[in-house]
Amino acid sequence: MMPVPVNDAASLLLVLAVLLPILGLCAMLGLRGLHPERVARVAVPLGVALAVAVLVEVWTGGQALHYTLGDWEPPLGLRLRADGLSAVMLVLSAVIILAAALFSQRQFRTPEGIAGDTRAPFTFWSMLMAMWSALNLVFLGEDLFNFFVALELLTFSAVTLVCLDGRTATLHAALRYLLFALLGSVLYLLGVALIYGRYGVLDIGLLHELVQADPVTLAAVAMMTVGLMAKASLFPLHLWLPPAHAGAPPAASAVLSALVVKAPFFLILRLWFDLLPPLPSPLAGQLLAALGAGAILLCSLVALRQARLKLLIAYSTVAQIGYLFLMFPLAAGPLAFWETIGWTGGVLQLVSHAFAKAAMFLAAGLIAETLGHDRIGEFAGLARRLPVAVAAFALAGLSLMGLPPSGGFNAKLLLLSAAAASGQWWIAAVILAGGMLAAGYVFRVLGAAMADGPAGEAGGPPSPLARQLVVLALALVAVALGFVPLQPFALLGIGREVLP
Amino acid sequence: MSGSLNLAGLLLAAAPGLPLALLASALWRGPRARLMRLLPFAPLPALLAALLAPGGALVLAPDPLRLTLALDLPGAMLLGGAALLWSLAGLYAASYMARDARRTGFAAWWLATMAGSLALFLVADLASFYLAFSLASLAAYGLVAHERTPAAGRAATLYMVLALLGEAFLLLAFVMLATGEAAGNPMIAEAVARLPTSPWRGAILTLLILGFALKMGLVPLHVWMPLAHPVAPMPASAALSGIIVKAGVIGLIRFLPFEAGLETAGTVLVALGLFTAFYAVAVGVTQHHPKVVLAYSTVSQMGVIAAVLGAGLALGDTRTGTLAAYYALHHLLVKGALFLGVGVAAGRALPWQRAIMALLALSLAGLPFTSGMLAKYAVKDLFGDGFALLLVTLSATGSTLLMLHFLRRLARAPDAKPAGTALLAPWLAVAASSLVALWVLFPVASGAGYGALIAPSALWKAAWPMLLGAALYLPLRRLGGRLPRIPEGDAVVLGEALVPLARQASAGAERLDELIRRWPVAGALLVLVILLLGAALQLSAGIGPLRAG
Repeated sequence: MMPVPVNDAASLLLVLAVLLPILGLCAMLGLRGLHPERVARVAVPLGVALAVAVLVEVWTGGQALHYTLGDWEPPLGLRLRADGLSAVMLVLSAVIILAAALFSQRQFRTPEGIAGDTRAPFTFWSMLMAMWSALNLVFLGEDLFNFFVALELLTFSAVTLVCLDGRTATLHAALRYLLFALLGSVLYLLGVALIYGRYGVLDIGLLHELVQADPVTLAAVAMMTVGLMAKASLFPLHLWLPPAHAGAPPAASAVLSALVVKAPFFLILRLWFDLLPPLPSPLAGQLLAALGAGAILLCSLVALRQARLKLLIAYSTVAQIGYLFLMFPLAAGPLAFWETIGWTGGVLQLVSHAFAKAAMFLAAGLIAETLGHDRIGEFAGLARRLPVAVAAFALAGLSLMGLPPSGGFNAKLLLLSAAAASGQWWIAAVILAGGMLAAGYVFRVLGAAMADGPAGEAGGPPSPLARQLVVLALALVAVALGFVPLQPFALLGIGREVLP
Repeated sequence: MSGSLNLAGLLLAAAPGLPLALLASALWRGPRARLMRLLPFAPLPALLAALLAPGGALVLAPDPLRLTLALDLPGAMLLGGAALLWSLAGLYAASYMARDARRTGFAAWWLATMAGSLALFLVADLASFYLAFSLASLAAYGLVAHERTPAAGRAATLYMVLALLGEAFLLLAFVMLATGEAAGNPMIAEAVARLPTSPWRGAILTLLILGFALKMGLVPLHVWMPLAHPVAPMPASAALSGIIVKAGVIGLIRFLPFEAGLETAGTVLVALGLFTAFYAVAVGVTQHHPKVVLAYSTVSQMGVIAAVLGAGLALGDTRTGTLAAYYALHHLLVKGALFLGVGVAAGRALPWQRAIMALLALSLAGLPFTSGMLAKYAVKDLFGDGFALLLVTLSATGSTLLMLHFLRRLARAPDAKPAGTALLAPWLAVAASSLVALWVLFPVASGAGYGALIAPSALWKAAWPMLLGAALYLPLRRLGGRLPRIPEGDAVVLGEALVPLARQASAGAERLDELIRRWPVAGALLVLVILLLGAALQLSAGIGPLRAG
C-alpha cells in the first residue's frame, strides 16, 4: 500500500504548474486592455521558475511529489504526481515554451490602436497558454480520464494554432489533424471505459496494484495505445502531421513538434511501463519497434525528397518519433526498466529531439521571413545572409544525425548499445541507417544554404539578432546534452521504485 | 596515469584546444579577418607536445565521462609530423589562397579538421576517439568541397557518403567493444584487451577494418580518394593525403590487439593491403593529372601500411604500432611535400626544383638514404622471409614505376605560377623535415643502429627493386598514350550506377507515403494496427505465467 500523501507546500507547486497557464489565459480573456503578449511576459518566466522548482524539489528530495486534490484520496479524488521523469518533462516544456514566447514577442504583438488585427496575437498567446496547461496536466496526472481531458485540451489548442493564418491549405491541414486526433480520442476513451468497467478505478497507482493481463485489459491497452499513437503521429498513422506542422507559425510548429506529439507518447510510456504488468514475451514491444523502424526508414527517405524546408523538418519529426518506439523492446530484461540504457536512451532521445527540432523550426521561420519562401532549391547564398540561423540549423542537425557531440548522439549510442547487448541487430541496423538518412536531408539543406547565390543579397530588413540567438541557444542545448554521461541517470528513476 | 594538471597535460589539451579556440574567435569580426594568417600558429602546441610530452596524460573529465588524453610513442610521432605539416601547409595556404574569395570559410574548415586530426593522435578513451574521428573526417568535407566546381561537388558528396558509412561501421564496432563494460566510456586499451575473448570478435574486427580501411582507402573502399584529394586547393590536398588518411592508420594501431595476435585477421589485412598496393599502381599509371597520380600513390602506400599492421597482428608483435607509425610519418611528410611541390614545380620548373621533386617522389619507393629507405628497412622484420616479404619488396618496384610516371606527368602539366619564398620555403621545409625526422627517430622506432643502414647489403636490398622498376618504366613510357583510360576513382563508376536505383527507392517511398496518408488507407491501417497490437499483447501474455494479481 502506498504511503498516504500529505499536501505540503512543495506539492502545491504541482497544482500551480497546471493552474498558472490557465490563470494567464483568464487574464488574457478577461482583461483585454492588457495585451496578451504582456501577460505572457509575466506568466512564462513564472512557469519556468515553477517547473525548475519542481525539478529541484524532486531531485533533492529523492522522491516523487504528490498532491491530492481537496484531500480526497483516489479512487474518489484525483491526484497529481511528479516523479523524476515528469519533472524533466515539465522543465523541458517550460524551456521550449519560453523560447517560443521570446521568438514570438514581436511577431504576435498586439497592434497599438484599433486599426490592427488583434485576433491573431490573442489566439496565439491564449492557445499557447491552454496548450501549456494541458501538457503539464499530462505530465503530472495520475487518472486515466483526467488524461483524456488534458489530451482534448491539447488537441484543440494545437489545431487552432495550426490554422492561425486562416489560409485554405492550413485550414485543410487543421481539419485533417482534428479529425484524426478525435478518432484517436475515441479509441482512447473506449479503452478507458473498458478499464473502468473491469476494475472500477482509473488511478494509475491503484490500477497498478490490481491490473491483470486478461483479454479485456489487454484489449483496452491496445485501443488506448493505438489512439495515442494516432495523436503522436507514429507511422503509419502520420497522415496529419506533415501538413499541420509545416503550415503552423514557426513558434507553434516548434512547440507542436517538440512537445505536443511527445505528450501522447509520454502516456504510452506510462501505460506500458507503469500500468501494464511486465509481459513475459517481447512480441508486442517488437511490433511497436517495427512501426518505429518503418517511421525512421520511410519518412527519412520522404524527407530527403521534400522541396520545402518546413515539410522536410516535419517529415523528420515523424522519423525521429520512430526512435522513441524502439525503446519498448530495448527496455526489457532482468533490470528494472528505468535502470536500462534502452529506456534512458529513449528518454534522452525525446529530450534532445525536442530541443533540436524546436531550433530547426524556429530557424526555418527566420529563413522564411527573410527570403519570403522556404524552397530549398532557392537557398543559395543563405549562409551569408543568416549565418546564425544556418549555424543553429546545422547544430540541431548534428543532434538529428546522431553525430557527436550532441544529445542525439548520446541517445542513439545508448539505444544502439542496448540493441547490441540484447542481440537485436535489426534495431541496431535501423538506428545506423536512420542516422545516414538524416545526414542526407540535413546536408541537403546546408549544402544549398552554403552555395553562392542570390539569396545572400539583402532584400528585406535583417531579422533581429535577439531572435536568432534564441534559436541558437536551443540548438546549443541540444549539443550540450551530448555531455551527459552514457549511463542510466538516477534522476529518471526517482519515484519509479514504488510502482513495480 | 596521473590526473593532475601538469605541463605535459596542459600541452596535450592545448594541441586540439588552440585550433578550436581560433575557430571560435572567428565569431568576432577582427580575428575573422586575420584567421588565414593565424593558421601556421594553430598547430604549434601540438608540435611542442609531440617533442616534450610523450608519456604525458591528462584526464579532461573524470568518471563517468572519462575523457582522457595520453600520448604514447606512435601517437607522438604522428602528432609531431601532422603538426609540422599542418603548420607549414598553413603558411603555404596563407600565401597560396591570399586572394581566394572564400578564404575565411576555408580557414574555418581547416582549423576544425586540424583540431580533430590532432586530437585523434592523443585521445585514450572510446568516446573521445569517435568524437575526434568524426570531427576530422566531417570537417574535411569543407576542404574537399571548397572549389565549388561540379567535380568538387561530386567528390565531396561521395566523400561525405562514404565517410558517414565509415562512421556507422565504427560506431557499431565501438558499441560492441564497450558492451559489457561497467563504465559507459571505457579506455581504448581496456576495451581492446578484451577484444580477443569477445563473443563478437569476428564482427568487431570486420567492422573496425571496414571503417578504418575506408579512411585509408584500401581497395575497393578507395574510390573517393582519387576524386577528393586532387580537387581540393593545393595545401588542402597535402593535408588530406598526408594527414587525414592517417586517421585510419592510428585507428588500426589503437584498435587491433597486437599483444594477443590474431592470425586470420592479420592475414586478411596483409592480403588486402598488398592487393591495394599493386592495384593502385596499375590504375595510377594510366592517369594523366599529376595530383590524381599522387592520390593513387597514397592508396598504394596505405596498402603497404595495412600489410605492415596485418603482419604484426598475425605475429602478435607489440612493436607493430610504433613501426607502422614510423612508416606513416615518412609518408605523411613526403606526400605532404609532394602535393605542396605540385603547386610550385609543375610544368617547366627550375632544375633544382625538379631534382627535389624527383628525390621526394623516389623516396616513396625507398631510394637509399631517404626517409623511404629507412621506413621500409624498419618494417621489413615483420614480414619474415616468405612470399609476403617478396611482395612488399616488389611494391617498391611498383612505387618506382608510379613515381616516374608522376614526374613525367608533372613536367607535362601546365606551368605553375612563379612561386615566391612564401610558397617555396614551406615546401622545402616539409621536404627537409622528412629526412631529419626519420633519421633522428630511426633508432627509437626500429631499435637498430645507423650502422645497419649503410651496410652494402641494405643498400642493395633497397636499390634492386627500384632498378627493376626503372627498367619496367621504359616499355611503359613507350606505350604512353595507348594505355586504356581508366576514369579517376575507377570502380566508383560501378557504384554510381546505383544512384538511379536509390532515386527510384526514394521515389517509391514517397509514393508509398502518399498512399498511406490517404484517408481510407489510414483508417484501414488504424484498424489493422489495433488488431495486430491486441493480438501481440494477448500472445505476449499467453506464453508465460501471469504476474500474481
